[in-house]
Amino acid sequence: MVKADDDILKTASQCRHYAMCKIDYLGTGLCPPGKRYHYVSYYPQGRMDLYAAMADNLIPVTEGLVHIAETCSLCGVCDLQCHFVTGLRPLKVMKALKDRVEDYLKAGGKPVSIASDEPLRCLRSIVGSEWATNDPAVLVTYANDPFPLADLKMPRYVVLPGTREEVAAVVRLANELGLPYAVRGNGGSVFGFVFSEGIVLDMQRMRGIVIDKDNWSAAVGPGVTSFELQQEAFRHGLRVNTAEPAATVCGNIVCTGTFSTWSYAYGTAADGFIDMEFVDARGQIFRLNDKQAPNVFAFENAVIPAPGICTEASVKLHPTSKDEDGVLVPFWDFDEAVALARELGRRRIGLAVAVLGIHYIANFMSPSKDLAGLLKDVLPETLGIRYVVFAIGDRFARESIQKLAGPVIDSGLWRTLTLGLPRLLDSEWLDLVKGFEAGRPPYEILCRPEMRPLVEAVLRPSPETLAAAVEEDLRELYTGLYSQPRFTDMTWLNMFRILSSRMSRRKHMFAFLVYVPLDRNDVINHINAEFARIAAAQGLDHDFGFLTPMDLGKRAILEYDYYIDHTDPAEREKIGRVLAEIGPWLDGLAERTKGVTFLKYVFSQGCSRKENFLYR
Amino acid sequence: MILITGGTGFLGAHLAAHLLEEGDEVILLARSKQGLSAADRVGRLLDWLGVAANRKKNVHLVEGRLEHPGLGLEPDDSALISREIDEIVHCASSTSFAERRRAEVEAVNLDGLRHVLDLAERSRCRRFHFISTAYVAGINSGHCLEELVRPAAFTNVYEETKCRAEWLASERCAKAGLRLSIYRPSIVYGHSETGRSLLFNALYYPVRTALFLKNLYETDIRERGGWRAAEMGVRLDGDGWTVMPIRIMAEDGGGVNVVPVDFFVRAFGAIRERAVDGGIFQVVNSRRTRIEDIIEYTQALFHIRGIMVCPAQDMEGKPRNALEEVFETYLEAYRPYLRDRRIFGAEKAGPILDDKGIRCPDLTFDIFKRCLDYAVQCGWGTRLFRG
Repeated sequence: MVKADDDILKTASQCRHYAMCKIDYLGTGLCPPGKRYHYVSYYPQGRMDLYAAMADNLIPVTEGLVHIAETCSLCGVCDLQCHFVTGLRPLKVMKALKDRVEDYLKAGGKPVSIASDEPLRCLRSIVGSEWATNDPAVLVTYANDPFPLADLKMPRYVVLPGTREEVAAVVRLANELGLPYAVRGNGGSVFGFVFSEGIVLDMQRMRGIVIDKDNWSAAVGPGVTSFELQQEAFRHGLRVNTAEPAATVCGNIVCTGTFSTWSYAYGTAADGFIDMEFVDARGQIFRLNDKQAPNVFAFENAVIPAPGICTEASVKLHPTSKDEDGVLVPFWDFDEAVALARELGRRRIGLAVAVLGIHYIANFMSPSKDLAGLLKDVLPETLGIRYVVFAIGDRFARESIQKLAGPVIDSGLWRTLTLGLPRLLDSEWLDLVKGFEAGRPPYEILCRPEMRPLVEAVLRPSPETLAAAVEEDLRELYTGLYSQPRFTDMTWLNMFRILSSRMSRRKHMFAFLVYVPLDRNDVINHINAEFARIAAAQGLDHDFGFLTPMDLGKRAILEYDYYIDHTDPAEREKIGRVLAEIGPWLDGLAERTKGVTFLKYVFSQGCSRKENFLYR
Repeated sequence: MILITGGTGFLGAHLAAHLLEEGDEVILLARSKQGLSAADRVGRLLDWLGVAANRKKNVHLVEGRLEHPGLGLEPDDSALISREIDEIVHCASSTSFAERRRAEVEAVNLDGLRHVLDLAERSRCRRFHFISTAYVAGINSGHCLEELVRPAAFTNVYEETKCRAEWLASERCAKAGLRLSIYRPSIVYGHSETGRSLLFNALYYPVRTALFLKNLYETDIRERGGWRAAEMGVRLDGDGWTVMPIRIMAEDGGGVNVVPVDFFVRAFGAIRERAVDGGIFQVVNSRRTRIEDIIEYTQALFHIRGIMVCPAQDMEGKPRNALEEVFETYLEAYRPYLRDRRIFGAEKAGPILDDKGIRCPDLTFDIFKRCLDYAVQCGWGTRLFRG
């Protein structure tokens, strides 16, 4: 077989497994074969892995691979979906995969037929013949993630159950056969937890959402993503506290509990659901509201297994008001930003609050990696912005924030800055803005309402202006997207979190999350400084991520991010050393400091009461 | 040999050229920046300054960073400086007024000075020339003398750190037996005869802003229907001039004290030659330029009408538009310099300059035009160091 094209292979290897190609988050439609066949192998994410796997000679051309290649119509939906958040153009990989398989067949190659075996026959009798497989072309797409420290772990079978009974039957079968199993959510796992040498259960087919308005709840199947649930809630004028858009709701709750900027008002962990249904390790079904159910509400500061496979969650729905909108309060000083976030918590102002670092803001706003890089320099150097306090609230909340904080970037200015971003970075304009500076930072003058006409005259914000920052052949598509008001609507963007994957556009992101006491700036600053020191010592890119107040500003969740090229062995070694240093340091700090809990120990205990890990 | 810090800056570069012209051998402390190596930056500067080829051989370059102890010099460079220098001209400075940059301003203006003084003490250097500013006077309405001062308050962190630096230099030089000369220019602009400059802040900034706005709204009128211009009341007159109605609040008296760089360089040379025992010298203009004159020059040069100085009572109760906000913000930050009524004494510098026939020219329209034409032509300084 001909050698893989280096450039195409590079793109394929850069797939972050964020599964944004598995949700229709741009309203442009879903990859048709993925929607039809559900296995990740049929989505662009899986096809990227397949191309890389073929280049590494990990798999032969199987019947499954031929089907996967042939079902791709090169419709191009994935190109915009992926570019919007990662900057990658997967279409060329899709085409190259098809070409390679086609060339193989044209050259007289015969697709390898993988023989069935007894366990597979049993699995198929449970879920139906279409939904269990041992074809390596499918297996390999469930065998790894960008987590750099995990090696490829090829499962023997991948199975897609359709009901809780099928899940229970698969678990019982696995026990009988002595096969290990793991449950896969929608995307991947940044810490490599979802692999098995036995059976991988992909819950893609269990996608039921039933809204119970009278009980302010939604019954959600384990294959439902945050984006889909939020979309359904939104349709009813409601909201849920959800995680990354492509993450499954059930998986996210079980894993760490859902935390987001909305956790400020809606809480986290057990705050997020009313009841949950599980299949336990023996294949028995139970609900948390059963009196005999295991006590998953307790918390143990240790790595312990999940209570079982979640087959349904009854998730809380929250009311919304028509006058909700977003506001950003810029800061130069971190402590001042934290003080405002804490104050908002104490006074119960707003619904979603976070202190964000500039890497976040720059990437959220920028449609391209290069523009984000420029903006990341300009924000502090020219505008005097190193942090922002981001908040969503009704008009009363926003008025209060403005009174407390002074100059703010309201939704109108946010839209202007976003749609005029390429001109905001024009050097002549920036030179002038710099000149505004004396005792107070230049952003203050930009935030003044009286300045708005001038800012608009300079930036000439429009979808076309913004789209000029991307490759020429994508400009029309970007113009179409940004012509939709929701793409610059801070509330919508924050509810659906479609921009958050842009964080990893430049490099794969390694997020460290720690619950912290929000009244202890010394502790928070120490944690940030230590993360920075450890990363710098290894020569890794790093940045403060966010800090979201919780429980009336008493506690917060802090994210600090490391950025690595997960395909670079040297960076892999570095991250290994970093992890070895961070674990003991944070353990010691948590032992000495009330309110500090490393999220690592909340993994698999996401159903616990937040009070049990916030106030140990 | 003379060590010059800040040799790639506005004043440092001009002083370096002057000293080379005088036949001195200089060591320039420089660093790579904006994608250019230190050698490339110095090379471009020397060409820009028109330093003759036979003088360039008298330039030695050392790479270093002021904020680092020992200036971050390589051992060989450090040894060369210790062994060879007779004088130091310390020009390097952070001119940021921004309070949020206090740490870096202090790092350059105070720690940097300490590191240079450390070097001076362990070298054979005997004279230390420190380029300060007339505005160490701080918030002060009276007569500003050529002596060390301790004002009660400063307008910004730049003034404060320069004042603290003078005291630091004075104490350390006295202890080390170094003869210290402190030069205090007011606001320095381009060359009065050629208009050339390297730096386009201070005096240039509001003019550049006015021109930016004129171009912005002219384009809006010519290419996009002009509704944004109309929103601001900006229009084109029949004769092609742009009408920009901008009110700038009038205050009683005062003006801006500006000196051209050629005057400053000549003054430095004369003081260095005559005042061998050191001292404090204010290199200022005996006459201030009124804001009204600068507005008039700007409008005449760039074909603008409508910018007017307005009595405070006429502006009361009338909200400012965006264009007025821009200028008001600038005026707020620079008011002490633009509406300056302080008298900067030149009892020590004056006689030396008079004796040498060196006189500070007034900022006339002709000089203004030369300087601004040059600024526009060179893209406001953006091209020299473009990597």
